[in-house]
Amino acid sequence: MSTATPLDTTISVITPENIAFDYELAGPFRRLPAYLIDILVRLGLILAVGMVLGLLGLATSIWIPGSFFLAGMLVAYFLISWFYGTVLETYFNGRTVGKWMFGLRVIGIDGRPVDGTGAVIRNLLRIADLAPLAALSQFDSDLPAVYVIPTGIVGLVCMVSTRRMQRLGDLAAGTMVVVDERSWRLPVTQVDDPRAAALASFLPADFRASRTMARTLATYVERRAYLTPPRRREVARVLAEPISERIGFRSDVDPDLLMMALYHATFLVDPRQQAAGGEPPAGPSPLLRDVNVAQEIPVARLASGPEASGLESDPAAGVAPNAEVAGSDQRPGEAAVIQTGSIETEERP
Amino acid sequence: MIIASLLESRQEQWRELEELCDRLEVRGRAARGDGASVLRFASLYRAACADLAMADSYHLPPATVAYLHRLVARAHNNLYRSDRLDPVSWVDMVFRTAPQRIFADPCVRVATLLFFGLFALAIALGYQQAGFPGFAEMVLGEDQMESLEKMYEEPIHGSLDHYVTMAGFYIKHNTGIGLQCFAFGVLLIPCLITLAFNAIQLGTAFGYMSRLETTGNDNFLHFVTAHGPFELTAIALAGGAGLRLGMGLFSTGGLSRIDSLYRSARLAVPIMVASAMLFFLAALTEGFVSPSSLPYVIKALWAILSAGLISFYFVVLGFPRDFVVRPAIEADRELIDPLADEEPVGEYRGAT
Repeated sequence: MSTATPLDTTISVITPENIAFDYELAGPFRRLPAYLIDILVRLGLILAVGMVLGLLGLATSIWIPGSFFLAGMLVAYFLISWFYGTVLETYFNGRTVGKWMFGLRVIGIDGRPVDGTGAVIRNLLRIADLAPLAALSQFDSDLPAVYVIPTGIVGLVCMVSTRRMQRLGDLAAGTMVVVDERSWRLPVTQVDDPRAAALASFLPADFRASRTMARTLATYVERRAYLTPPRRREVARVLAEPISERIGFRSDVDPDLLMMALYHATFLVDPRQQAAGGEPPAGPSPLLRDVNVAQEIPVARLASGPEASGLESDPAAGVAPNAEVAGSDQRPGEAAVIQTGSIETEERP
Repeated sequence: MIIASLLESRQEQWRELEELCDRLEVRGRAARGDGASVLRFASLYRAACADLAMADSYHLPPATVAYLHRLVARAHNNLYRSDRLDPVSWVDMVFRTAPQRIFADPCVRVATLLFFGLFALAIALGYQQAGFPGFAEMVLGEDQMESLEKMYEEPIHGSLDHYVTMAGFYIKHNTGIGLQCFAFGVLLIPCLITLAFNAIQLGTAFGYMSRLETTGNDNFLHFVTAHGPFELTAIALAGGAGLRLGMGLFSTGGLSRIDSLYRSARLAVPIMVASAMLFFLAALTEGFVSPSSLPYVIKALWAILSAGLISFYFVVLGFPRDFVVRPAIEADRELIDPLADEEPVGEYRGAT
């Protein structure tokens, strides 16, 4: 296997079980909303503590002087504003409220959980990452100097220029922020199109995809939902045409359909079942040697699905199969594209 | 291997692992007496790891591999959880690690020299009106000088209300400045500016207020004596910790810049913890002792006592005892790399 790392925002971690798995790193624009939520939570927490202490102070003002509650509020304000992130990240396994809401988590750069010292460092250094401060009074001298906005340029530049997208606090603490979402479903791409299964039944019984081809097929089928039909044909043709030629299919078989059929045969059909006879070949044969037998069936129908019958009047669909085999498949291809466009929209998730 | 049959056999276990992850995440950690599910979790996690390792030879499609990566990552995060702060290690850090680092760290010395040097200089310049006319006015400004004089016009007397509130305020305000000084240390220059600014301003205020002709000079000395040692040392230490952090970026000692920053941050934390403790003690003193109407002798004795405690902490607790036992070469190594005894960052990789 090649050792070239993909150009991506993932980072590989090797566990004590000697397994390497990938984490998806969280960039600045994923972390900013989480941080804003944290600011709000912190504010709410301070207000809540203030209100509780204030009410307690009122209720017990006969026995305890109110100044104790005032001092308590000041200390609580200090502790919450400086150590909110530290305590939450230590006690909730690298997550604050904002990180929990946005599916982020702080971990060590080696994949270990964040430790107390690391959490202290990265949360204290946040104010250095938020530097430089911009005061509104710089832009408009009428405004009072109290409105100060941290620009966060230091942290942003640092995040953009490090491989693990760490801000200064992360660098000093040896931590990184990764995406750790709570729920996802197992994405097994199913081929819903019955024509793919039908086409797959015409593949030779000893067809086995190599490792790289299996991967290519899977990638194509997973991604094809995001492509328009013309792009699908364009991408699929690169692999589908040589295969089609080798198997002996007619050259007007839709490349996209052929890729799906190969995927179906590789991933979704049990080979034992296939060896035992399996499903009999269904539908009109796409094989080149069957051309004379199936001469009266318009091939465009195979390539473009059952709905094609509604468009029989289209001149391209009525072209004789022999002519297509002899010439280029450009014309019937156009017809197939037009019609698959309406079919594929139903398949999209 | 055909994915359909493989998934059929494995999917059940993956789903079970996800459910266990859900439960662990919601509850924090496994409930008491729930050992069986923890064991089950561990074996399911190992099975998922094995599946991921075999993914390539199984010809799994990329989306399934991506799913497995996330499943293993999620289970990994639940298996290896962050440690909660351990009080024993915390005490060890405050009473053993911190003083030794403070004693050995040249950055602390530089910051202390800088702070107290500028402080003493500013006192001298601010005190001598004849020698340096207008210096105090330039640094403090007329408004601040007036408000200082007004503050100490009245003899010091306080009530319990006043004490408690002020102690709370000093904890919040002064410790905050110290932490800020530390954090800006990573950018080095803001840390030095904060340190120098505080030294010069405090020194000038001290010098100006101790002039004989200034109104309220008695009351001023009455107020600042008691908490002076704690507070000034705490500021210098915060600056020293910040300097240690920032120096990691420049003086790398052969490490890469990022590794060096990581190492110096770990070295700086105990110093900062000691500084925060001193800020806290200073705030209590400033809140309760300084504004009280206790006689000056007691406040001065408290100042001497606190200075003695700090010296004891730095010198007696901080003196590197290991030097006595270890051979000189060992000791040198320790000086060069104080983190050498702690486990290296990359060790995890090879662990089984």
